[in-house]
Amino acid sequence: MRYRVIAAAIAALALGVVVATTASASTKSHTLVVWLQVDAKTGWPKVVANATAAFKKANPGWNVNVQYQTWGTHLQNFDAAIAGNNVPDVIEMGNTEMTKYMAAGAFANLTSYKGKFANSSHWLTGLTNSSTYNGKLEGVPYYAGSRLVTYRTDLFSQAGVTKPPTSLAALETDLGKVGSKVTGVPGFTPFYMAGTDWYSALSFVFDYGGSIATFSKGKWVGQLASTKSVAGLTAYKQFFLGYSPHSAATLDEANPAPYTVYGANPGRAAAIFGPGWYSCCTGNYKNVTGQFLMPSHVPGQHMTSWLGGSDLGVPKQGHQQAQARSWISFFTNSANEKALQKVGNVPNATNLFDNSLNDQAAKKSWFVPTAKHWVDVESGNVIRHMLANILTGTPVKQAAQQADASMNNLLNQP
Amino acid sequence: MSRRLPRKLGWNVVGIGVFVVMAFPVFWMISTAFKSNEQINSLTPTWFPLHPTLANFTGAIHKPYFADDLINTAIVVLAAVGIAMVLAFLAAVALAKYRFRGRKLFVVLIIGVQMIPGIGLIIPLYVMLADVPVLGINLVGKLTGLIVVYVSSVLAFSVWTLRGFLLGIPKELEEAAMVDGSTRFGAFVRILLPLVAPGLVATSVFAFITCWNEYIFANLLLQQQGHQTITVWLAEYTGGETYTDWGGLMAASTLIAVPVVIFFLLVQRKIAFGLTTGAVKG
Amino acid sequence: MGAAAEAVSTRPRRRPLTWRRTRRGAVPYLLILPVIAVLAAILGYPLYQLVQLAFQRYQLPELIAHKGIYVGLANFSSVLHDGVFWHTLGRTVAFTTVNVGLTIVLGTLMALLLVRVSTWVRILITVGLVLVWSMPPVVSVQVWIWMTDVQNGVLNYVLTELHFGNYFQHNWFASPFSELAMVTSLVVWGGLPFVAITVYAALSQVPHELMEAARIDGARAWQIFKDVTLPVIQPVLLILTSLSILWDFGVFTQAYLLIGQAHILPSNYLMSVYLWEEAYYKNDYGLGAAISILMLAAVAILSFVYVRRMLKIGEVDR
Repeated sequence: MRYRVIAAAIAALALGVVVATTASASTKSHTLVVWLQVDAKTGWPKVVANATAAFKKANPGWNVNVQYQTWGTHLQNFDAAIAGNNVPDVIEMGNTEMTKYMAAGAFANLTSYKGKFANSSHWLTGLTNSSTYNGKLEGVPYYAGSRLVTYRTDLFSQAGVTKPPTSLAALETDLGKVGSKVTGVPGFTPFYMAGTDWYSALSFVFDYGGSIATFSKGKWVGQLASTKSVAGLTAYKQFFLGYSPHSAATLDEANPAPYTVYGANPGRAAAIFGPGWYSCCTGNYKNVTGQFLMPSHVPGQHMTSWLGGSDLGVPKQGHQQAQARSWISFFTNSANEKALQKVGNVPNATNLFDNSLNDQAAKKSWFVPTAKHWVDVESGNVIRHMLANILTGTPVKQAAQQADASMNNLLNQP
Repeated sequence: MSRRLPRKLGWNVVGIGVFVVMAFPVFWMISTAFKSNEQINSLTPTWFPLHPTLANFTGAIHKPYFADDLINTAIVVLAAVGIAMVLAFLAAVALAKYRFRGRKLFVVLIIGVQMIPGIGLIIPLYVMLADVPVLGINLVGKLTGLIVVYVSSVLAFSVWTLRGFLLGIPKELEEAAMVDGSTRFGAFVRILLPLVAPGLVATSVFAFITCWNEYIFANLLLQQQGHQTITVWLAEYTGGETYTDWGGLMAASTLIAVPVVIFFLLVQRKIAFGLTTGAVKG
Repeated sequence: MGAAAEAVSTRPRRRPLTWRRTRRGAVPYLLILPVIAVLAAILGYPLYQLVQLAFQRYQLPELIAHKGIYVGLANFSSVLHDGVFWHTLGRTVAFTTVNVGLTIVLGTLMALLLVRVSTWVRILITVGLVLVWSMPPVVSVQVWIWMTDVQNGVLNYVLTELHFGNYFQHNWFASPFSELAMVTSLVVWGGLPFVAITVYAALSQVPHELMEAARIDGARAWQIFKDVTLPVIQPVLLILTSLSILWDFGVFTQAYLLIGQAHILPSNYLMSVYLWEEAYYKNDYGLGAAISILMLAAVAILSFVYVRRMLKIGEVDR
């Protein structure tokens, strides 16, 4: 008897819930749906709030519903939304993700509205290129990030190094000195890089004049096995094996995290190659944190830096595109971009640069081939696999040739 | 009696060993939740944080929408499990105790449904929920949509598991009920229900946990902040580009596990040993 | 055990074939109707769509245009001619076998242990099992990643301290085999509570007196298990085995998150991960649908023997 009552109660509750939740349909007054990555929520919530407030003032009667996504699933959610005719009005896309979706016709053409966005004539070339397809602008640069070296000034100065090195060879010498001065820490290495961190590793390739892939005679051709690229990869292998922990040969850059440098005293490494915001998470070691640009093998220059970043697109199926553009223009105005810069990002326009190291690195940057299927190469981990192979014994040229073969396959799909 | 004691002691030691090995990751999660960042990142692990900090927990609770998402999850899961258990029990009784034409077909359906790779259905399910045929409503973004998905995902296995429990019940007990002159189904409910209660509870706990911990569909269907489930809320700790806040993640995970543990402890008395002794003797 | 049943079956039919009998004959159909209706309503249309997708080219441009291009069996042919598919299938079968074997055997042993320990230890273990069980996979993956961290992981530390060898900065994910071994440890660990608790619940249905009688008669523990316990819990064990096969064959979250998107390669693909990569990461939904159907066929074949045995046990002789 008791069980019948319990069962009936549960069923009634369930029914009640169903009725309640279906009945409370959201009032379809004017609402703009914006998909941003969760980085905005944790890193710069005020910027989002400013943009929303300004937008609402300029568009009375409108609400903004910001829905935060994570990098791992946001494209699948976008695909589902497209299929279900439920697209957001604005969506943040990684700059390497844009090309495939632009080629498929996912985004609205913003070319004629370019002038309405702040600083559009000074937009970073790298980001603008990632937002353009067949000559049409289909995205608005949001922000960028570069790579540089974050290091412990105290460990460097105790080894007699008081100024950042100006060439790769000098860096190696300095790292050798730093390493010899730190004793008693098992597994300590002067430098930390994750072996398969291709954002950092491929800077070596570009530094020696190599490239990832080129487009000629209507086909993409992988260039990682070219002489110059191989020279760069070999330099990378030497650098890694000489100064980074070998146990990190197959790890990716999600693993190190700044604590590797700063976690304890003296931590596991004295320097780490990563995004500019690595200097944020230094805990008690704020006063002994410094940064410098990764020096080139050519003395006096710095290596070309990877330019990561995000763009904002307006899905073509959206019905509120005018308001979407309005929100984006508020979100990417100068004040907000400056605020983004303050928390360690690179703003989307060169006229906003403040000569910080981050911005300097962004001036000389490399980017992935703007191929429709580039994103398949990334998700297939072709380059990471190549780097792991190189660092665990496969001859450089052989590993590079394998990577080129995979890329030729993937990039030339219809 | 005296011969039993050392044997029980031996089993107890083994039991404690099993507990330690199984629960170590849980212990590690909880202890990390109480550690400061320095202790978490230190070169040698800290086993028991001597100066535990509640900072991670307060951080987690104050992270926006913690309470909202927790309540949403409770609603979704209780509704889905409740509906699924009622429907599944009925069908399991039919499968285990009746002989009818088409029974084999139904069994094939039940098993077949569980063989479908769920992630293959993501887009078709989303499209259907966005514009439900016949009813014409949009269930995307509503808790009901997720309840619907969860019911369909635990229903088949619940039927199957409950059938197994029902089959294990000795026949005399059913025969005894039938002799009483009651209808067959009435006998089943009065006699079988208490007997299968342990199985019912075990199945409902599993359904509860499966739904509570589900992420892919919750993340897909519920996008609005404050109207999501707790697993989606949790995923934000590791979803961004910045480094993982291990202490916060572990504290949040500990908090999320608490309702599940409470639910189980409330119902665990039903999974008792030797419920049948009295019935068989009588 | 059979005396009463025999008496019932030889009893002459007392009730003629009245309308009441017919109505009673409708009872089972009424009982299964809700389940059929719910499953048909929720899964019917999506399944139909899935099958349709498998015969179409449905990539990103088609998704956006809401219109696929009919390509017949091209998707199936492409998958079946791809060496990656066959290697992944073989790898997943091996993975499933190991995982299911470990889960069922260890889970049953744990259930038997639960019966034999004192109440307080039973409660301790049960609480432990529920804590394990209640950890969302996304969380337990993070704990695993944390424990096996190359630099700061507690596993390396403990193994080195206990002199099992030099595990200093050992990378537990260095090869596909070790990656899948780590996934196995996580999946088995996570699957044990359900098996242990379910089998323990089933053990409660074993007639206590029979076990006592057998023990008093001097039967050994293994004999008691084989002759008294096993017949009662066999249906449940078969069910758990078949369920475990289905789940472990299709395991996705643990494999994908533990190995990590940055390390997913054809050499460590499991079927679900392969499906996810092809369908979602490469936006080829037609191919993904074909793979889904092939997966369904594969797991049906894999679990066929168990399912048939389960159906035989379920035969009710009336």
